[in-house]
Parts: sequence; structure tokens; C-alpha cells
Amino acid sequence: MELFERTASELSSMLKNKECSSVEIIESIYNRIDKVEDKVNSYITLCKETAIEKAKEVDNAIADGKELSSLAGIPIAVKDNISTKGIKTTCASKMLENYIPPFNATVVDKINAADMVITGKVNMDEFAMGSSTENSYFKKTRNPHDTDRVPGGSSGGSAAAVAAGEAIVSLGSDTGGSIRQPSSYCGVIGLKPTYSSVSRYGLVAFASSLDQIGPIGRSVEDVAMLYSAICGGDKMDATSKMREYPDFKAGLSADVSGLKIGIPAEYYGEGIDDSVKAAVMNAVKELEKNGAVVKNISLPSTEYAIKAYYIISSAEASSNLARFDGVKYGYRAKDYTTLVDMYEKTRSEGFGDEVKRRIMLGTFVLSSGYYDAYYKKAKLLQQKIKQEFNDTFNDVDVIITPTAPAKAFKIGENSDNPLKMYAADVCTVPVNIAGLPGLNIPCGSDNGMPIGLQIIGKEFSEQTLFNAAYAYEKTMGNLCKIPSLD
Amino acid sequence: MDIDIKYIAKLSRISINPEDEAKFEKNMQEIVDMVNGMPEINDDLILDKNNAMTLREDIAETGKFTREELMKNAPEVQAGCLLVPKTVE
Amino acid sequence: MNNNYEMVVGLEVHAELNTASKIYCSCKNAFGLEVNSQVCPICMGMPGTLPTLNEKVVEYAIKMGHALNCKINSVCKQDRKNYFYPDLPKAYQISQAEVPLCENGHLDIMVDGKTKTIGVTRIHIEEDAGKLLHDDSFAGSLVDLNRCGVPLIEIVSEPDIRSVAEAKAYLETIRSILQYINISDCKMQEGSIRCDVNVSVHKIGEPFGTRCEMKNVNSFSAAIRGIEFEANRQIEVLENGGVIEQETRRWDDAKGESILMRTKENANDYRYFPEPDLLTIVVDEEKIAELKNSLPELPNAKLRRYVDEFGISQNDGALIAESVEKAKLFDEAVALKKGTPKGIIKWILGDISKYINETGKSVSDMKVTPERLAELVGIIESGQISNASGKIVFETMLTEDKGVSEIIKEKNLSQNSNTDELEALAKVVLAQNEKSVTDYKGGKTNALGFLVGQCMKASKGQANPGMMRDIVIKLLSE
Repeated sequence: MELFERTASELSSMLKNKECSSVEIIESIYNRIDKVEDKVNSYITLCKETAIEKAKEVDNAIADGKELSSLAGIPIAVKDNISTKGIKTTCASKMLENYIPPFNATVVDKINAADMVITGKVNMDEFAMGSSTENSYFKKTRNPHDTDRVPGGSSGGSAAAVAAGEAIVSLGSDTGGSIRQPSSYCGVIGLKPTYSSVSRYGLVAFASSLDQIGPIGRSVEDVAMLYSAICGGDKMDATSKMREYPDFKAGLSADVSGLKIGIPAEYYGEGIDDSVKAAVMNAVKELEKNGAVVKNISLPSTEYAIKAYYIISSAEASSNLARFDGVKYGYRAKDYTTLVDMYEKTRSEGFGDEVKRRIMLGTFVLSSGYYDAYYKKAKLLQQKIKQEFNDTFNDVDVIITPTAPAKAFKIGENSDNPLKMYAADVCTVPVNIAGLPGLNIPCGSDNGMPIGLQIIGKEFSEQTLFNAAYAYEKTMGNLCKIPSLD
Repeated sequence: MDIDIKYIAKLSRISINPEDEAKFEKNMQEIVDMVNGMPEINDDLILDKNNAMTLREDIAETGKFTREELMKNAPEVQAGCLLVPKTVE
Repeated sequence: MNNNYEMVVGLEVHAELNTASKIYCSCKNAFGLEVNSQVCPICMGMPGTLPTLNEKVVEYAIKMGHALNCKINSVCKQDRKNYFYPDLPKAYQISQAEVPLCENGHLDIMVDGKTKTIGVTRIHIEEDAGKLLHDDSFAGSLVDLNRCGVPLIEIVSEPDIRSVAEAKAYLETIRSILQYINISDCKMQEGSIRCDVNVSVHKIGEPFGTRCEMKNVNSFSAAIRGIEFEANRQIEVLENGGVIEQETRRWDDAKGESILMRTKENANDYRYFPEPDLLTIVVDEEKIAELKNSLPELPNAKLRRYVDEFGISQNDGALIAESVEKAKLFDEAVALKKGTPKGIIKWILGDISKYINETGKSVSDMKVTPERLAELVGIIESGQISNASGKIVFETMLTEDKGVSEIIKEKNLSQNSNTDELEALAKVVLAQNEKSVTDYKGGKTNALGFLVGQCMKASKGQANPGMMRDIVIKLLSE
């Protein structure tokens, strides 16, 4: 078995037992990248030199018998909307094609402090707006399980890199499903953490009140470890919560006896493929066999979540992306006359169509005369949806739903139809609207394409989600098999 | 309700070339129709007292960044300033 | 202004707060440093950066709220005001829209002896923008972001102001309060207080007219000129049968006129919405009370005390009370109970104010301490030296670091109040002026003045004039 195929926890103990070196691990990763990257297109920027430097440091530290974190020497890919000092951070946009941040995102400082090795910056939908990674200005990432299909999005690069063995783990960001849906399409494990549990400082904002950075990996242990490394309150992010966060890996337990699982009818209705429903319900049965208790529940406001989501996220985006005006950084149009002309040309040439659509929708719902009818109504709806979830969690410990309505679609299939594209988020957006944690785990396949289920819990109940997933993983064995891509 | 794409584009400082206007207008209208039809909620937005933030201590920090590294990404810099088209005649 | 009309004015005062750091980042809050030297990724609006609210900004705003008798909203939030301009890096200003920190207050102002109450609608916190520099040697405008994120409070008045004099009094009172509670430097030339002005006019007895907003008013004197101009402009329009359109105008102080910026139709659409990067501002009631108790005695209260306790005139009292430094000097000198308050105030408003205006010095860097001022006034009032000598002592004190008695001795200015000596001297003088003595006794009373004058002369001006006069009269009546 090659090093790139192993999980972080396996590699961690191999490093401790001197069965391999960090440099060998990173070389194995780059060999894999050399072999498959032209088929997958996960990466926008590779950081081979700095990565090998870092790996050497780790090896020396181990040789000197230093006490290192369990993630030391583990290769990690970082989504290209997470600021890395001295390394291009493009958000897959022409607007930031050559932008090099002078500072690190807080999560990047944390993974550096844990001595993880950054392999490079991975592809995404432009400014994280999309569900297929087709909206990248640079390249279309392909699904490692079928390169004619999309990897999902917006964190398509993060999911595909891990699924293809081009990274051991990765960081993505999730505003409406951007970690869970691509994880589902690529057959890996991805967590959208509780809002406020991971610092957003340095994450280029799409929708501030919904964005969360989260971990992706090929085992529950790996995802739990990485989440432990990145979570925690941050003085630089006023919306992050200062509280005690446990060691989630140490807390893992496969015992689900008595765990109350809610199955909300609204997530299994029309528009969800039968193959998906079947795969999810089989997984639920497995947990039931392990002693979990299944309850049928209802979340009636679900159908409205997607409306509220597109209003709130677009409103915030229209404001967050206004700073890209060709003055301080990023792209500036070549020929212009006045200031306004410079603004308009710069933004029209620098942004792709989907980004323009969202900016204009957001501008519209906030514009005078429409605020109450759209933005305010959406916020009220958000209050209601939160309340519905909170009430439900008085009766159940977790909620299990499909992560996506169907397996990964073909590249180009939905490109010209924004609404069909948005439908891919229908199961994931309510979780962001409510600020809750959601975890995707693979639970079967449809003609070789992975299908994922989503475990939703109450605020800060990540340990419960990990344990449910861990129990399923223990029953089924390895959930994330790397395709050969030969 | 029809959306005034020209006004919204202007407000967004985005110019749409005429040939794309129809397409954008159609897309936008579809999206707006999609988000329409939210239920009436006779409730008001509550300012969440329990969602308070910690404020920052008033201490000035200097010398963390040089002007050069902060301006490195700027399209046009002159005399240590960002250069933009004249804002007054 | 045309007497058939009345003006209705509302003022929005923006004051920069003198905190150590900026409102949303830890950059130094300082004026006049090298361009773009007080900037960081946050106030430069770099992608991924987030604001963190400076606690002092909240405290300062609440202090002002108390000083202006406002209701303090212990739970409030911040909102984004969206618009594109090169001096606004994020393309939105973090401000407060729906729920300001303070609201429903009022302020008493003094206009020619009469007190008037002006309503204060609200006080909210927000961030300042950067500066645009225009210089023909460059192909465009230059952007300096040092001022981005400098904390501001905006104080919005009700449209209760009816004259230029009231506007002036309101602005000066606001400034003096800002200085008393020491939350702003109030340096006009540095633009640390600016205002927007709302003006409308109407025929007396008729309903209010349509208001125009005037922006870019960078000093209080400019505000006064602007209000005057705008009111007259509107009256002229009406007198010529025109109508006033609701519009935003820009005040050009150099040209002394307001220019149309935008009409109501193309008014800015700021798309305000709650700032998602900041959570709720919650200030506990103890803190709010503590801030109230921390306020010093404010100018209006001082004035009332001066008038009631010391019988000082409204005008003199106001002149002292509106200046933090003069009031401090006065209060400290009075507390020493050497000179009378009225005597002390005469010196502060007279020679001291004159000296300060001429030299541009501040009271604190004057060698005349409260102790010395009180001592000087005391000695004059006790008759130990004459007023004339007092002035000499004062002049000397300004330049030389010496005490009052020391100077009196040096220049030997003390008055002779010794009865025997003065009587002896008077006898000699009368003997030398028999003619005048007989004239006086013959009824020519005005001879008295001449004789007293001669005695004073003989004493080289050191005789106590009052005593000298009494002695001469006594001797003549013998």
C-alpha cells in the first residue's frame, strides 16, 4: 500500500514508529499528483518546495525527539479562498489571479503550528459560488470516480484531491453545502462545523453569517483530528465562540446504542433519487442494528430554506464583494475613462457570470423598497427554521438526510441553468441557515458513483456526529476507496 | 414584479453588454421568482442579547506591516498612495 | 435674512474620538503621519479580514450620550452602509442604522442671555473614511488610508434650531462638552469635528418648507456661513416664485456657496443591512451607570453655579465655563479663598485672556498659577498694593517665575498705609500750599483734589489713596 493511500492517523503512527519519514510521505503525494493531476485538476497552485522544506523540518524535529502534534508531517490541501501568506489566494477568480496575501488565515496559522505540510491551494467555484467547481476561472476539476462528472462544489478541489489521493486531508469552506455536497459526490468524509466554532479570519468572505471552514478526509478519525486542530475562539473573529473544545479523536466511540436518529420526511420527497433514498436508509438500518433508535420527524419549513438562503447569502455577498474595485489589490481593467467607468469595467471583466448574478440578486433584495419584502422576510424565516431544528433536537440526538438529491452530474449538464444548479443544495442549506454542524459520510454508490448521507446535530454536538459516523465506519470498514485513475 | 436590471447593475457597479442583457434579465427573473413566495411571518427580528460579542481592548499596535507589503498587490501606486482616476475636476 | 422668513436647521456633528487605536483594528489612531503608514490589512479592507470593535469607542459614545441626556440602548447592533468610493476600502461603512447607542436626548444652549433646549435625536458610532489627495502633478487622485477606521460619533440634532446664533451656540456647546469629557481633540484644522447641515425656510406662521442637506462642512465657522447662505438662497428661490426641491448640496467654503450634488430622484441607495461580522453590542447597566458617574461638571452646570453662588453675570460666566482651561484656573483660584470670585474672573477675562489670545499660549503653559493669581487678587483687594501695581506684578509673573510678594518687594510696590507717616507727610504738603488750603476753607472744594494729588506725588505714589484723602480732609477740618 502506498503512503498517499493511507489515512492521517495511520501515517501519524508510522512517523512516530519511524516506519516512514515526512519527506517520503510528501514525495508519495507529489508522485501521485504528477500521475493523476492532469485528469483531476484539483490544484490551482502547488507548493512543492516549501512543502518539502517543511517535511524536512518535521523529520529533523522527530529525529531530535521533539514532542509533535499528531498531525505533524501530514500533507494537507487548502481551498484557495483561505488566505496563505506569500502564497497566491485567488478564489478561482480572474479578479484575484495574482493576489498574494500579506497575512495568514487563523486556520492556516493553526495547521502550521501543528506542523502540517501544505501541498498547495485547491480549485473551487469562483468566490465559492457554485455546486460543481465549473465556475472556476482557471480550470474545471473532475470527479476522480468518473472524470466526465463534476466533483461538486464549491470545495470541489478539496474533495477531489482527497478522493484521488493527491492529499491526505484538506480544508474546504461551506456556506450552503460547499463541503458536504462535494464530499458526497467524491465519496469522502466532510464536516461543516457549527457556525462560530472555526475562525473565519482570513477566509475570503462569501456570506459572513453562513460561511464556515471545515475538514475533509478519508476516515472519521482524520476529520475529527483536523477539526480539533482548527476549531476554537479567535480574538480576530468577533463572531467566533470562546469555549472549551474537546479532543474529538480521543472522544470517538462506536457505541450508538440509544442514539435517537430523526428522519425528516421533507428530505426524502420528490426530487431525491430513489437510489439515494435507498442508500441512506440502508445506512440508517445499520445504525439501528447497532442499537440506534429511529424516529420519523417533520421539518415543515425546509422548502423555504433555499429561498431564505439565496436571499441572505446573496445580500451579504453583494456587500462582501464590493471591495473588489481595482483600487487596492487584484484586477484592474486596462482602458477606462472615469472612476465609475474603471469600477464597472474592472468588475465586469474580473467577475464571472454566476458571481455577477449573485451580486445583482443581493443588491436587488437590499435595494430601497425591497428590503422588507426580501431580506427581512428571509431573516425572519431563518429565525423560524432555527427554532424548528432546536425543537426537534428535544426529541432526537441527530437527524440523518441525504447530502445531495442525486449522484454527481455530468460536466456541463447544469451550466446554463442556475436554478437546477441551486437544487443540488436543497438538503444542505437548511443546516447553514440554522448554524448547525453537518457531516457527510459515504453510504453506498449508484453505478460506481458515491452517494453520501448527512448527519445533522445541535450546536457544538460535533462529537455526537463523529461517533455516529465512526459506528457506521466500524461496521462497513473503509468508506473512502481511492480510484486508480489509470 | 419585474426587476430593473439596468438600475441593479449600475448599483452593483457592473456593466452588462447589450447582447448578454436578455440572458441576465431572464436568469435574474427566474431566481427572483424562485425566492418569491415566502410565507408571511408576523414576528419581528429580535436583537439577541445572548449573542453578545467581546469587545477589543483599546491598545494600538504598530509596525506589524510595512506600507510596501500592504501596497504590493495594488494595481497603481504613486508617492506611497493608491492612484485612482480623478475624483474631482 | 428676510424678516418675513424663519429658518429651521438640524445639525449632524461628526466628532473623531481620541482613542489610542482605531475602531475596528489595532492601528494607531493618529493624525498627520506619513501617508498610508497607519494601515493594516483590516482597515485596508483586504479579503478575509474581519472587524473587532474597540471597547473605548462604545464607552466614549455612552459618555456623550449621558452628557446630552440621552437614553442609552444597552443592547444595539451595527449596520453596513454600502457605497463605492476610493476612500472607502471595503466599499461599505460600518455604522449604526436602526438602533443607535444613544437616542432621545437634549441640550440647553444660551443665546443672548436666554436658555433654549435643542433636541438630540441620536448618537451613533461609525468609522471614518480615508482621504483623497488632489495634485495636478499626478495622472489621477491619490488615496491615503490612514484615516480609515478612525472612530467617529455622529450626533444628530432635532430640527430645533431657528437662527444662525442658535446654531453657533449649539455647535460651541457641543464642542466644549466634547472637550470637558475629553473624548475628542476637537481640532478643526485637522477635521476632527465636521458637520452636515439640514436647512429649510418658511414664512413665519406657515408650515415648514422642504429641507436641503448640505455636506462637506469642515468647520463650525463654515457651518455658520453655509447656513446663512443656504437660508438666503432658499428665500430668494421662494421670493421669485420658485419651489425648493429636496436635494443634497455641497458647501464650497472658498467660494462661499453651496452647489447641487444630487436631487431626491437620484439619491444614494445605501442598502443598509445588519453587519454580519459583528454580534450584538451589549453593555451592562452597571457599566452605563459607572460611565454616568465618571462625567465631570459640565459647562452648563458650571455656569449656573457661577451665577448663583458668585453673582457673576451670565456673559462672564459663560465665557469662563465654555473653556475647560479657564474654568479650571478659575475654580482652583477661587478654592484658595484669597481673592473674591469676581476679582479673579476680572483678571482671567481681562489680562489673562488678552495674553493667551496674543501669544496663542494655553493657560497651562502660563507661569501664572492659580495660587499666584489668587494671591495677587487677594493682595490688591486688601489694599496692600494698587491696581496699577497689580498690573506690574502680573506682567512680571508672565515672564519671570517669581511669587507675588517677591515681585512686590523687588519692585517695592507695597502701599503705605501707615496713618502717622501719611499724616506727617500731609502736614508738610499742606504747609507748602497755604493758598489752596485757604481756597478750600473758603468753599472751593475742588482744591481738595489738588491737595490730595500733591500728597500722593510726595509719597511717590505709594500712599494708600483712600487713606491719604481721609487724612487730608481731617487736617483741613481742624
